[in-house]
Amino acid sequence: MWGDSLLIVFISICTAFLGEGLTWILVYRTEKYQKLKVEVERQSKKLEKRKEAHGDSLDKQHKKKIEREEERLKNNNRDLSLVKMKSMFAIGFAFTALLSMFNSIFDGRVVAKLPFYPISWIQGLSHRNLPGDNYTDCSFIFLYILCTMSIRQNIQKLLGFAPSRAASKQGGALFAAPPAQFK
Amino acid sequence: MSTKSKSSDSLTKSNGNDSIWKRALLPNAEWPDKEEFLDVIYWMRQAIGIILGLCWGLLPLKGFLGLLLFVIVNAAVIYVYVSSFQNVDEEEYGGMWEITKEGFMTSFAGFLVTWIIMFTGLHSTSEL
Repeated sequence: MWGDSLLIVFISICTAFLGEGLTWILVYRTEKYQKLKVEVERQSKKLEKRKEAHGDSLDKQHKKKIEREEERLKNNNRDLSLVKMKSMFAIGFAFTALLSMFNSIFDGRVVAKLPFYPISWIQGLSHRNLPGDNYTDCSFIFLYILCTMSIRQNIQKLLGFAPSRAASKQGGALFAAPPAQFK
Repeated sequence: MSTKSKSSDSLTKSNGNDSIWKRALLPNAEWPDKEEFLDVIYWMRQAIGIILGLCWGLLPLKGFLGLLLFVIVNAAVIYVYVSSFQNVDEEEYGGMWEITKEGFMTSFAGFLVTWIIMFTGLHSTSEL
């Protein structure tokens, strides 16, 4: 059982690197993306500073300026998401195929033992395709998702691909949404 | 990352007197760049998650208690680090909540993975 769980950690490390590598080839290294990213970061920081400086003032002129900049930032963010979206779809498809392959390999196999009793809405995931009703048995998909959640984001941050805090704070939900988890 | 932003990164780093990690270990260090401090918090969280996962798995701690203890220890360590060790004004970062949130989910996932794997390897034959 231990071998299986370590194998899953290894698989998710590999898929995380593969995913980031593919995204790098398709998105990160393109000039359009780099330009937009620098632009968005610069604007977000500027906007944040401006908001801090004139946060409470009711000056109409400042308000208008801030609004105009927000609008520009929104447009840039949208462009950035569009650039990312195309490759995300391609990678998403590839990973769905890969995941269904792993799913069939680990079908019905208990890969780990949970040290806690999962709450009911997690049981569907943690006990997926497993025989019996011992809910401390853990299925492939649950461990894989947990691994992906921690490993992928850390790798993104380590490689400097994660969006900066200022950008995700100013950018709203569209840009701040975490990348597809390849479910 | 583009070469442009990379060079500006290294510029800001060389402007500081010490490297980020050295400053992270010094009490009451200066943090001119908010991002750097939040990065320190982020990576500290990840380390805490994995260390606690290893400990809980070795002990072994089981059930809801393990989860609860993780959340409490994780939040407490960061709180003490931020407010007592570094004496940072939390309002600058949008309140304590923003700092507490920083990297929590990733650290939680890392904690669960290490806890589950240690538990499976060492104690999986024992019943819960």
